[in-house]
Amino acid sequence: MVSQTFTITNSQGFHMRPAGAFTTAMGKYQSSVSVIKDGNKIDGKSIMNLIAACIKCGTEITVEIDGPDEEAAMKEAAEMIENGFGE
Amino acid sequence: MLKGVNASEGIGIGKVMLIEEINLDYEKRKITDTQKEIERYRKALESYCKKTESQAKKIRDTVGEKEADIILGHLLMIKDPGMSSSIEGNISAGCCAEEAVAQVCDMFIGVFSMAEDELTKQRASDVEDIKTGLIATLLGKEEADISCAPANTVLVARDLTPSMTSCIVKDNIVGIVTEVGGKTSHSAILARAMEIPAVLSVENATTILKNGQEIIVDGSYGEIIENPSMGEIYAYKDKTVIFKKEKEELQKYVGRETLTADGTKIDLYCNIGKPEDADTVISKDGEGVGLFRTEFLYMGNTSIPSEDEQFEAYKKTLLKLSGKPLIIRTLDVGGDKDIPYLGLNKEENPFMGYRAVRFCLHRKDVYAPQLKALLRASVFGDIRIMLPLVTCLDELLEFKSMLKKLMEELNSQGTPYNKDIPVGVMIETPAAAMIADVLGKEADFFSIGTNDLTGYTMAVDRGNPDVAYLYSPFQPAVLRSIKRTIEMGRENSIPVGMCGEAASDPLMIPLLLAFGLDEFSVSATSVLKTRKIISMWTREKALEVAEKAMSLNTEKEVVKYLNSVVKV
Repeated sequence: MVSQTFTITNSQGFHMRPAGAFTTAMGKYQSSVSVIKDGNKIDGKSIMNLIAACIKCGTEITVEIDGPDEEAAMKEAAEMIENGFGE
Repeated sequence: MLKGVNASEGIGIGKVMLIEEINLDYEKRKITDTQKEIERYRKALESYCKKTESQAKKIRDTVGEKEADIILGHLLMIKDPGMSSSIEGNISAGCCAEEAVAQVCDMFIGVFSMAEDELTKQRASDVEDIKTGLIATLLGKEEADISCAPANTVLVARDLTPSMTSCIVKDNIVGIVTEVGGKTSHSAILARAMEIPAVLSVENATTILKNGQEIIVDGSYGEIIENPSMGEIYAYKDKTVIFKKEKEELQKYVGRETLTADGTKIDLYCNIGKPEDADTVISKDGEGVGLFRTEFLYMGNTSIPSEDEQFEAYKKTLLKLSGKPLIIRTLDVGGDKDIPYLGLNKEENPFMGYRAVRFCLHRKDVYAPQLKALLRASVFGDIRIMLPLVTCLDELLEFKSMLKKLMEELNSQGTPYNKDIPVGVMIETPAAAMIADVLGKEADFFSIGTNDLTGYTMAVDRGNPDVAYLYSPFQPAVLRSIKRTIEMGRENSIPVGMCGEAASDPLMIPLLLAFGLDEFSVSATSVLKTRKIISMWTREKALEVAEKAMSLNTEKEVVKYLNSVVKV
């Protein structure tokens, strides 16, 4: 399992478009993807759960990925979050 | 007679086609063959997704990209693995598919609408749409098929959904009536784009009006006449003829320069809200764009449009205008325009608060992408940047230094842009009008925004019926501000335009010509009429009228006098 902590920098956080892009990207991998916010574990492949979690700009989250392609998945996740989802 | 909002002008006479809301009642059944029920759900899901995709495509082609994206968002949500597995889980537990969909959707609707954050709350209505669509598909019910409406049909609905509007056949629909929506609603914009007369926000329209009933829709005055007599039908047919005749008469002004009766050239531009509107500017013979409101790029979105996205929108608009000027107003958020994802706090007094250039200069993270997009697009045509709600010189200076920094960034990246891009100021506060002499030394142009200028000068909220009577650009205080602004522009040799509704008002035009306004920016549909009115005035005659009007002491006297000398 790999795990990395990020601070959300794009201004509107995990909303429709960013959450959609993130879950679509993570959906390609076999590994399980979780996003942890304030101790709550959220399915990182579910746009509905990500939106419901209200992850705003400035929030600290941890991404946990577990499975055969975890390294590649984490690399893509990190790029997306750090680039602010191309905003 | 029924009354509503006059959302799209013209007169339509035809028979009502009532579009009823789909009845989503279903019988709760206990499922024993759950596998079969899951298959039924999957089939419905597949056909719902297919339908949604094709609707999105149609809307992209006929209305625009942003409107289509909203529908595509629904697809992302319904394809959510969590959502589908919960629905199938509930079916496995013995629920019928309709109930399982309702349970899971209602759960998310509950969660989203409880959220503190406005943007998350809005997503609840998306889930509501998905729920309606999926259950309707499961029940085998379809939204009324408008595409087969016979000739002379008036559509009557509570609201027009995007999927309905994508099916309208323009030649057969002579009018639109809805119970909700205003002049800027989706239905109104669409009706105007298709030139279908429309009256919106008609209370209880779907219960009062009956299928097949004959009605007259007067989209110019927002009136509906039920079961008209022969006399009324003839009268309205005459009106239609006059309306068409006036329109045809105005066709004479297509392709002409805008000149006063004594040959002074005037620039006649249009106000627009999205790239596609540039097509209307061209088709209605506008000579450029005097106001491109950029909020719509932000408001139709669920997140801040990226620099690239904005660049594409501006470039697209410029290319459509093929060399004609495009004055772009930078983000005018706040006041009555909230954009949820920007996270603005609720204010006691939003019109006096954190809005427009005040917000943008503090939130350079939001502003910079827009300005960079504008600079990058500036090589594709004649872009001019306009700042809203300026009240002091500092704002203009700070903006210019910010722009300079962004230009240096682009220099280092080797990205081309127009180094001499004009930067103008909107004169829409009494403060700006008072210091127009100072602003004129730093600004490349002025544009008078009469709507806000009137509101701020008279300290009146025109939405408040108790004080709305004070809201008039013919108030001497407002007229003096306008006159002063134009004079100060001339003193500094910079052009002055006007982009409020007043610029196309037949009573205001002679005054503006007398003061020396260089550019009139009006709605695309008013271009020809405004051109015609301008062509009726000589400078000498306009000066005479203005001198008399400015000597009067009250708004009533001014309007009375102008009405007596202006032949519309």
